[in-house]
Amino acid sequence: MQPIQLFKLASQQAEWLTVRHTVVAGNIANVNTPGYAAKDVEPFQAVMETTRTKMAATHSRHFTDSKLRDSIRSNEINGIAVHPSGNTVNLANEVSKGSGIKREYEINTSIVKTVNRMMLATVRK
Amino acid sequence: MDPLSLSSRIAASGLHAQETRLRVVSENLANAQSTGETPGSDPYRRKTVSFASYLDNATGASRVKVQRLGFDQSDFVVNFDPSHPAADEKGMVKMPNVNPLIELADMRETNRSYEANLQTIKQTRELVTLTLGLLRNN
Amino acid sequence: MNIISQTLSAIDTTPNATNQTEFASLTGATAAAGLRAVEDVQGPGFGEVMAEMAGGVVTRLNQAEYISMKAVQGEANTREVVDALMTAEQSLNTAIAIRDKIVTAYLEVTRMQI
Repeated sequence: MQPIQLFKLASQQAEWLTVRHTVVAGNIANVNTPGYAAKDVEPFQAVMETTRTKMAATHSRHFTDSKLRDSIRSNEINGIAVHPSGNTVNLANEVSKGSGIKREYEINTSIVKTVNRMMLATVRK
Repeated sequence: MDPLSLSSRIAASGLHAQETRLRVVSENLANAQSTGETPGSDPYRRKTVSFASYLDNATGASRVKVQRLGFDQSDFVVNFDPSHPAADEKGMVKMPNVNPLIELADMRETNRSYEANLQTIKQTRELVTLTLGLLRNN
Repeated sequence: MNIISQTLSAIDTTPNATNQTEFASLTGATAAAGLRAVEDVQGPGFGEVMAEMAGGVVTRLNQAEYISMKAVQGEANTREVVDALMTAEQSLNTAIAIRDKIVTAYLEVTRMQI
């Protein structure tokens, strides 16, 4: 069934977005920590390709602890972007990433809401 | 654990760290003129705060904590003021090694970081509201 | 939640009853041949399909209940709870719609002129 696939994909994207939000929160919290390297999650496309098999819970009682955590990387930043303390967090960058996440999450929930409404409309009198 | 509640906890750890830093900055500013009481004694020594990120292995989150409250070991400023109770035999008084300009700059930075963490908490709340909005009557 | 599950499992007996009444009222000499043709068709019967569907609905409701309880204890992911509840709502609404159709059909049959 098509809509069910959509719901699953939407849930996975939502999970990716929330994990990414956690990573951004960690970067912002560590904005003044000496030697801290900024982290990010791999793009959703790449994560989907590598973790597709891992994300499945074979039993309803399985609560899969997010395997997305494996895809958190701190990328190498050199040169002028590194603070004298060795910190590589760019606050403006993180804040803009945060608002991007919020926008994508908004789109995600709107889509799910609309599709759900459409599905329910087919069975209502 | 729910990544969203984790985000707010991380941001809360950031807020806590910045609060501590702000407290130290205000201590330094308040004591910018605090000299010793007996002749030749040391005045107030500037306090420093250092942060460290610690990785919570159970959740994979990188929170921040205050690692150490230290003292600035730089030299004291020496002023000539023979009438001062803390003046030594040459009439020199040791003043605290606090530079108000540095402290103010530090305070600005603390403010900015605090606001960024607060913004994270607000955003987390918005994401939760969006999620729960899925259950509302369409 | 238990009452709902019972009501739903009642669905999988209802269709059988409907089936039998429907067919019983049709068992004239002329309809007998047609009925045999229907029974010869391969695959799951109407009752089985209904039972399977009702079973699915009950499973989803149970899962939603389980995850909701986890959420009350503060252990579940918000999105997981919302997803489970949405799936349960969809299934329940579908089941209710089908039940309504079955009841209507049954009433149609009982009102049929013999």
